[in-house]
Amino acid sequence: MKNKIIRRGDIILALAAVAAALILLIFQRTSSGGRVAVVTVNSEVIARINLDELSEKTVIKTDTEPSAIIVAENGEIYFESSGCKDKICVKTGRLTHKGDTAVCLPARAVVSISGSDVDAITY
Amino acid sequence: MESKKKTALKTVIIIIAAAAAICLLVFFSRSDEYTDSFIAMDTYCSVKLSGKDAEEAAKEFKEITEKLDSETLSRFEKGSLVYSLNENSEENIPESLAKYFDTLFDVYRQSEGAYDFTLGAVSDLWAIGTDNERVPGSDEIKAATGLCGADKLIYDGSSMTVPGGMKLDLGSAGKGIALDEIKAKSDSLNLKKCVVSLGGSVLVCGKGNFKVGIQKPGAAGYIAVINTDGAFISTSGSYERYFEKDGVRYHHILDPDTGYPAESGIVSATIIAQSGTLSDALSTACFVLGAEKGAELCLEYGCEGVFVSADNKIYATPGAAEMLEITDSSYSLEVIR
Repeated sequence: MKNKIIRRGDIILALAAVAAALILLIFQRTSSGGRVAVVTVNSEVIARINLDELSEKTVIKTDTEPSAIIVAENGEIYFESSGCKDKICVKTGRLTHKGDTAVCLPARAVVSISGSDVDAITY
Repeated sequence: MESKKKTALKTVIIIIAAAAAICLLVFFSRSDEYTDSFIAMDTYCSVKLSGKDAEEAAKEFKEITEKLDSETLSRFEKGSLVYSLNENSEENIPESLAKYFDTLFDVYRQSEGAYDFTLGAVSDLWAIGTDNERVPGSDEIKAATGLCGADKLIYDGSSMTVPGGMKLDLGSAGKGIALDEIKAKSDSLNLKKCVVSLGGSVLVCGKGNFKVGIQKPGAAGYIAVINTDGAFISTSGSYERYFEKDGVRYHHILDPDTGYPAESGIVSATIIAQSGTLSDALSTACFVLGAEKGAELCLEYGCEGVFVSADNKIYATPGAAEMLEITDSSYSLEVIR
């Protein structure tokens, strides 16, 4: 018995590692997580902003023609202004919920809060 | 020595166990969901797919949409079928497209012209969303509306001629036609779930149930959720494309009868149908007709409709009401019977 390579304690330790991984998995699957705003320009992600941990006003100016100014503050994100004609992006208003999306086609910029309770939104 | 060996072995075993556990974690948490977004048909499109062919399907769907626009439906792209038709040349209409035209002609007739895909001359005058947007003079509008009317098209089911001055504008049906083509393609692929949004015109199909939110007019977020096991859902709203002049708001959905932005008491019309062409065309027709007449038209086609008024009322056909869940408490539901 004394020469046994693996002791009961070791098995417990290994099981603990597996259990920790499983707990992590379950936590990852059930937790709703924070609201993360993803800003893309020309289909490339240029910023990820955690709206729940935002401490100061963040301003992003897109390097496009026309350019758009995107502001994140107080747990919200929105198109503050845009050089485009129709201003649909600005009219969309402030994004606060998961799944909220604002698009500026002329600037090819999309702001979206990732995750949503619905599969799609019709508009 | 012996104890050192043992300790080393133990460490290895624990590392292996932990690694196995992490592999397990990665394996189970991986999702076969594939999402992508792109800009096509001058609008923001997104796909959310699952199944073996998800990635390939996303690529195909994008291609279908882009190709349909550039080769067929765009009225601004030189070389597209609609562009050529608008140059007044006689064009062959392939069978694959004729079925969509049949639907559009039918909605034109059934809606007594409230839906008209020949309004290009009038929308060019308003030019909403462009540098040239303006309120046209009433004489101009009268002259332009005189050029419109799908019944004036010369069409025998296989070839079409657009009379002088008339301009086809399939902007109100293009996304729906693309969704129908996408659905046909999806049937030949191995997909579990398929969610496609082309600028807010939505196709949901596959296994399980889906939730589709109805956009809150003039703001981000949604006011109600449609529960369905598969459908084409389109919305026409006045809250997105508009301009203001002297305190008056002019939106982009034009009433074929007057040539002015349609005023029927609603700010959005959402249609749930079994075809994208139908849901798209009917949403425009119903926006122009208003809630009550819109609901009647929906029922003629076996479709469901949800109409939102400026004073936060949601009017729904009985079938739609059963699928509907109001998520914004500032809105109330009324069923149209």
